[in-house]
Amino acid sequence: MTTSSPMGEAKTRCLVLACGNTLRSDDGVGPKLAEWATERFHENRDVRVVARQQWTPDLAEEIAAADSVLFVDASAKSRPGRVSLTAVPSNRGSGSTGSHHLEAHELIGLTRSLYGSIKSHAMLLTVGAASTQLGEEFSKPVEAALPRAQGLLEKAVLRFLAN
Amino acid sequence: MSQTITIDPVTRLEGHGKITIQLNGKGEVEDAHFHVTQVRGFERFSEGRPFYEMPSLMARICGICPVSHLIASAKACEAIMSVRIPHTAAQLRRVLNLAQMVQSHALSFFYLASPDLLLGMEADPKVRNILGVAAASPELGRAGIALRRFGQSIIEILGGKRIHPGWVVPGGVTEPLESAQRDKILAMIPEAYANLALALAAYKKIAGQFKHEIEVFANFPSNYLSLINEDESIEFTDGALRIVDATGTIIEDGMTASRYSEAIGEAVEPYSYTKFAYYKPLGYPAGSYRVGPLARLNIVKTMGTPEADAELIEFKQLASGPVESSFYYHHARLVEMLYGIEKIEQILADPRILEKHVRATAGVNRNEGAGQAEAPRGTLHHHYKVDDNGKMLWANLVIATGQNNKAMNLGVLQVAQSYVKGGKFTEGILNRVEAVVRTFDPCLSCSSHAAGQMPLEVLLLSAAGTVLDRVAR
Repeated sequence: MTTSSPMGEAKTRCLVLACGNTLRSDDGVGPKLAEWATERFHENRDVRVVARQQWTPDLAEEIAAADSVLFVDASAKSRPGRVSLTAVPSNRGSGSTGSHHLEAHELIGLTRSLYGSIKSHAMLLTVGAASTQLGEEFSKPVEAALPRAQGLLEKAVLRFLAN
Repeated sequence: MSQTITIDPVTRLEGHGKITIQLNGKGEVEDAHFHVTQVRGFERFSEGRPFYEMPSLMARICGICPVSHLIASAKACEAIMSVRIPHTAAQLRRVLNLAQMVQSHALSFFYLASPDLLLGMEADPKVRNILGVAAASPELGRAGIALRRFGQSIIEILGGKRIHPGWVVPGGVTEPLESAQRDKILAMIPEAYANLALALAAYKKIAGQFKHEIEVFANFPSNYLSLINEDESIEFTDGALRIVDATGTIIEDGMTASRYSEAIGEAVEPYSYTKFAYYKPLGYPAGSYRVGPLARLNIVKTMGTPEADAELIEFKQLASGPVESSFYYHHARLVEMLYGIEKIEQILADPRILEKHVRATAGVNRNEGAGQAEAPRGTLHHHYKVDDNGKMLWANLVIATGQNNKAMNLGVLQVAQSYVKGGKFTEGILNRVEAVVRTFDPCLSCSSHAAGQMPLEVLLLSAAGTVLDRVAR
C-alpha cells in the first residue's frame, strides 16, 4: 500500500477514500473500514488508502492520480446497518453552497473539471448509521455490519485491480 | 414599522454565525449585527492541566490555524519557563507558521472568495462555489489546490501530520530537520511560485470589476495592529506588536506579549459570544482596530523579500495612507502568500537550519506567561497563570476574529445600508452581506473556541422585532 502524496509519484491503481468522524459514533465507520483496508492491503503498492473527516476539494488531486476510486462513508439515509455498494453518478449537479465538504459525485465532477480525468471506475460503499451522537462506539447494527462491509470493500478493490 | 433581515447561516466561513439587519419604518437599514452563536470554553477547561500540555490542547481550537495556536501557546509556556529557544528551533517554527499561512490563505482565496470574484456576486448560488470555479477556470482551481498542498505538505514534513502536528513544544520543537526533508520542501518551491503568479495576475484582472464592493466593503478609517520586526519588516512568529491609527501614525510600538493585557481590553456585546478587542487608551469602541493581512500590510514598511516587496509597493499605492477597504484583504492575502514562499526558501537556504539543538528545557520559573503569534487571519495572544507546580490556574485567549469583530459589524452595516433599499432583499444582496464578512476570513471556531457546524444565517427584522425574512443555507 502506498502512503505518500500522489503528486510526482507513480499513479495509484486503486484509491480507497474514506470519510467520517471517529468521535461521532457510527459516523466513524468510514475511518474504521479505512483502517481495515490499510491492514488488508499493506503489501500492495497499487492500493492507496486515505481517511479524512470530510471530503474536501483538495482530494481531487488524489483522485486524478488514481485509476479507480472507492469512496467509503456512513449513510444517514440508509437503514441502520445496511451495507450498499453503488456506482458514483458522474453527471449529478452540485448541492454545495460551502467549500468544506463535498459529496462523492461532486468530487468526481471536480476532478473532471480540473484535471480532465474521467473516472469510469468509481464506487461508493456506505453503511447505514443509527447514531451520530458524540461517542467512540458503534451502534449494534453497524457493529454487526462490519464483516459484510469489509467483504464488499475487499471485493471492490480486487475487482478494480483486475480491470 | 421597522423590519429585521436575518442571514443564518452565513456560508463559506470558518464557523457558525448569523447576521441580522434591522429596518426602520421607511424600509431603510437602521442597524446590522454579525453574531457569533457558538461557545465552547477552552479557557475554562484548561484550568487544572499541566502547563506543558497547553500547546497541544490549544491547537485543538482550530483545524485551519492550529499551528499559530501551537506557537502562541508554546511561547506563553516559555515565558513561564523563562527560556529562550535555540535559533534553529525559532526558524523551524517560522517555516511551519508560514506554511500554515500559505495553505490557509489559499483556502480563503480560492475556495471561499474566488466563487464571488470569478463568477460574480449575483451568480446563481448553485454554481457560485468551488465546483463553479473549477468549471470556469480550471487553471485557477488547480493552482488553489496545489498551493493548499504546498502548505499542508510542509506542515506534514515538519510536524508529522497536516492538522494538529505535535512537533512544537514548550522550549522549541521535538525533532531537528533532516537534509532530505529540507530538499523535499525546496523542490516544491518553483511550482508554488508559478501558481501564486497565476493567482495574482487573475486577481488583478478581476478586481477592477468590483469598484462598488471596494467602496462599501468595510471601507472606513480604523486603527490596525500586528507583529512587526525591528527593521519594520513583516513578522508572523516573533517580533513585537505595533498599533497605527487611521492615518498610519504609530500609537503603540514594541509591545511585548507581557504588556498586551495592559494595552488591550475586551468589550462584550449582548448579540455575540465573541468579545470585541480594543486599545485601552482610546476606549471602546474608538479603540477598536483591525488585524490580519490588511492590517499587517498597512503597518509594515517592507516584507523583507524581493518579490513580495515589489507587490507591497504596488499595494500601498492603492491609497495615500492605510488601505481602508476590507475588500483588499483578498489582495493582501496573495502578497503574504508570495512572501511566505520566498521566506521559506530563504530560511531553508541557511545551513544552520539543519542544526540538531532544537529544544531548551526548564521547569516553572514564573507563575505567569504570555505569548503571541500571527495567525493567517490576525494576531493571537495566549496568557496563562500557573501555580508553583505548573498547574494551570487561569488562561485568556485573544484571537484574531475578536479583534476584527467591530470592523466586521460595521462592514455588515455599511454593505446593508448601501444595497438594501425599501426593505427589498435579493440573493445578490444577501451574498454581498456575507461576502464582506468573508473578506476578513473570520474563524468563528477560534473566536468562541467552539465546536459544531460551520454555516451562518441572515434575518430581516421589523422595527417591532418581528422576523420578516430568514435565509438559511
